[in-house]
Amino acid sequence: MRNRLAICLACALLSPAAAAPKPTALGEIVTALDGVDEDAAARSATALGDRTEPAAHEALLDALAWGLEPGVATAAIAALAKHPAPPDLALLRRYAGHHDVAVRSAALGALALYPDPIARNAIAQALRDPNATVRAAAAQAAVKGHVKAAIEPLFALLGLGEDEAAKALAAMADAELVRRIGDQLGKVPDPALASCLGLILQRADFGPDTERVEVVRALAKISDASATAALTDYVNATPANPPRASRAEAMKIVEARGAGK
Amino acid sequence: MRALALIAFVAGCGGSLFQLTSVDNNRGELTTALAHRQLPAQPSPINAARVPRVFAVLGGPRKQIVAYDLAAGTLMWRQPADVASRICIGGSFVAELEGKQLVARDQATGAQTWHVDLDPSRDFVGLATDRDRAYLVWSEHGNGAIAAYDGASGKLLWHARADGVLGAPAAQGGVVYVPYASQWLSIIDGASGDQLARVRGIDEQISMLRATSTEAYFGSKQGVFVLDASAATGTRKDGSYASVAVPPQLEPTQYGPDAYDAVQSGYSANDRARILWSGSLAHAPYAVAYFRFVFGFDPHGTLVWAYSHPRTELVASADTGAAIVAISQTGDIVALDPKTGALRLDRAIGTSEPVLGATFDADGWTPPNAGETVETVEALVAIARDHDERFDRVKQLAVQALAQLPGGAVTRQLLDVLADPRAPDKLKDDVVELLVARKDPASLAVLAAQLATHDDYLAKTQPIALGPVAKAIAGLGGAKLDPAAVASALAALESHLDAPTTQIPDLVPVIDAMAAIGGGAERAELSAHLLLYHADDTLGGDPAWGRAIVGALENHGGPAERELLRAVATDPRTRPGLVAIVRDALTAD
Repeated sequence: MRNRLAICLACALLSPAAAAPKPTALGEIVTALDGVDEDAAARSATALGDRTEPAAHEALLDALAWGLEPGVATAAIAALAKHPAPPDLALLRRYAGHHDVAVRSAALGALALYPDPIARNAIAQALRDPNATVRAAAAQAAVKGHVKAAIEPLFALLGLGEDEAAKALAAMADAELVRRIGDQLGKVPDPALASCLGLILQRADFGPDTERVEVVRALAKISDASATAALTDYVNATPANPPRASRAEAMKIVEARGAGK
Repeated sequence: MRALALIAFVAGCGGSLFQLTSVDNNRGELTTALAHRQLPAQPSPINAARVPRVFAVLGGPRKQIVAYDLAAGTLMWRQPADVASRICIGGSFVAELEGKQLVARDQATGAQTWHVDLDPSRDFVGLATDRDRAYLVWSEHGNGAIAAYDGASGKLLWHARADGVLGAPAAQGGVVYVPYASQWLSIIDGASGDQLARVRGIDEQISMLRATSTEAYFGSKQGVFVLDASAATGTRKDGSYASVAVPPQLEPTQYGPDAYDAVQSGYSANDRARILWSGSLAHAPYAVAYFRFVFGFDPHGTLVWAYSHPRTELVASADTGAAIVAISQTGDIVALDPKTGALRLDRAIGTSEPVLGATFDADGWTPPNAGETVETVEALVAIARDHDERFDRVKQLAVQALAQLPGGAVTRQLLDVLADPRAPDKLKDDVVELLVARKDPASLAVLAAQLATHDDYLAKTQPIALGPVAKAIAGLGGAKLDPAAVASALAALESHLDAPTTQIPDLVPVIDAMAAIGGGAERAELSAHLLLYHADDTLGGDPAWGRAIVGALENHGGPAERELLRAVATDPRTRPGLVAIVRDALTAD
């Protein structure tokens, strides 16, 4: 009865799921998910996420539509996202506005796996959340979901010196974005900008080296000690051979600043 | 210029005109006394030229008197004068106390024409003039005395002393009114000094006098009698008595200067809080000038208009019968339509020195109607948004008056008060109450628009007055509302229902508002909201939230919502307090 009600209430959000018969084992897991033992319910949610049957996914959706304790909801959201399906989106978006920070963060992490404008907008919007933990979760989701709509708010957060924004922009940066990041000199705190550029240099997938040289030159414009530290880290983390122009240029700058030894 | 006999001399020689035992409240005598007055058929200035004028005292290193022609808009003259009293207007002269001298000046030029020395041991009480004479009242060892002087020559005409205190006099058409011992009003022939009649206040003291060119009034802080034949009764019931309602926010406001207060014998801050009227106060509209503001009331005491003077206070004001006129500290003269508050004149007399006080001689005068617009809403808004902390209570009055006016524009203004970080908290509390009580269907779209602002870390915004706005919307339940505005409001409310940062004290009115105006369209959202948090300690465990969401679904839902409530009540994960609320609601159903 309860499940039918929940499905009915969520009918505007969910597409009809196939009514496949549930194996007995699955039924036991679902029963535990519906129980008052929160730890057992959370474990059941995780177990359902590991199942591949559509009924397992449906059970998670059903439980989330009915409403769960925050701890169980967090596990159910993570489980749901193991097999992303379009009907999940509306529920995840609702949970992305949950009062509980952990639930909200989990929903954002899950939404990153859904290549849908609704999910992307929710992630970009969450970068404006007053809670720093949620903003960090949204920044990580933006990276995971390659959310372009998140770039502008990430720049705004970089301007406020938020580390997670620096990490996210660094992770998402391509050549064009690197130039935009470099242009932020004077607009954002030097340590945040240096951190962002330094993290780009640490990316093994970033290149070619001519692009790394651009990053090094952008760092060279930052007089703050954090820029020297980022360049030093890059020099130290990069093998001398084969020779890289970016490393050589970084080394020159570091030596010029008297921090090479 | 003539220097005349010392008042110290005359004070010792006059007869005792004011005695405790005398004939009081004789209707025949009073009627005769009033008929003795030589009054114009229509209200008009006292001065012989019948030109509306104002005489102002300017501060600065050296005090000055400025005479200004209101009709022509020109400065007549300016003279240095150490003014220590109000300026009193005669036919061809003005008189005032300067230091310890009673001084008369030619009204056309300002040149001093005569003066009388006041013995330093005497205390000045008050001064009055009619067209031809000046009347000076002083006290000596607790007893009052009065002397009358010819306005043109300064010649002493008569003098008298009292067994007891006298108050500041008023004069009109050859008759002088003198308050005596707080209980009596002596009506004296200005030419001879003979007492014509005496009124004894039975119900209240007599401590205030006001004489225009055609009417005279007396009374106290409590109310005002018209000085007519019925005043002989001495009672409120049988006299032409009125006491108007002045909002408590405008206290202390008086009908006129206290005749027994030495401070008020000159211009003082007291003049900035004054009830203004003409004719019979019992049946006429009236105004209250209160520092920078003027409020107009109908005869029932309902505020109908307001005027807010920019920046500076109105130091003196008067009702000419055809206009409310006032002058500001910076010398701006304003004239307002007494019925509508429309600004008919706003003109500077052209002075850099501060105006300390002024006397208008402008009975019957009004500037020509120039098609001016009434700006009451703007005035009330200006008052409400004023940042001068001295007027916080006046701001309360302004928002109360605003809230009486219909329309979304007014609601917008009230909401702006809530958004003003410098507005006092008490005022915001008042605005919240007024918004909730307002129940103005035309305001729904404005209220919905107010909900557009959300918590945004980057934009540095927060919802402004979410709870109060939601309460105001809830108050519209049952009213005929524009469907488009309802849809817009519901969407806005839903956005806050779903927002993670909406706290329970705000969520409750949001839920109430959705239920009140939703007409069923809100049920799915509220049902989903209940399910989302029924197992949550924070919301599901909060009784206020529980009562709101359960009440909304129970009272505004249908069978499906009641079935949902029953299912929630049987879910073992539902917070116990919420279960109890649901069961209570379903039992009561």
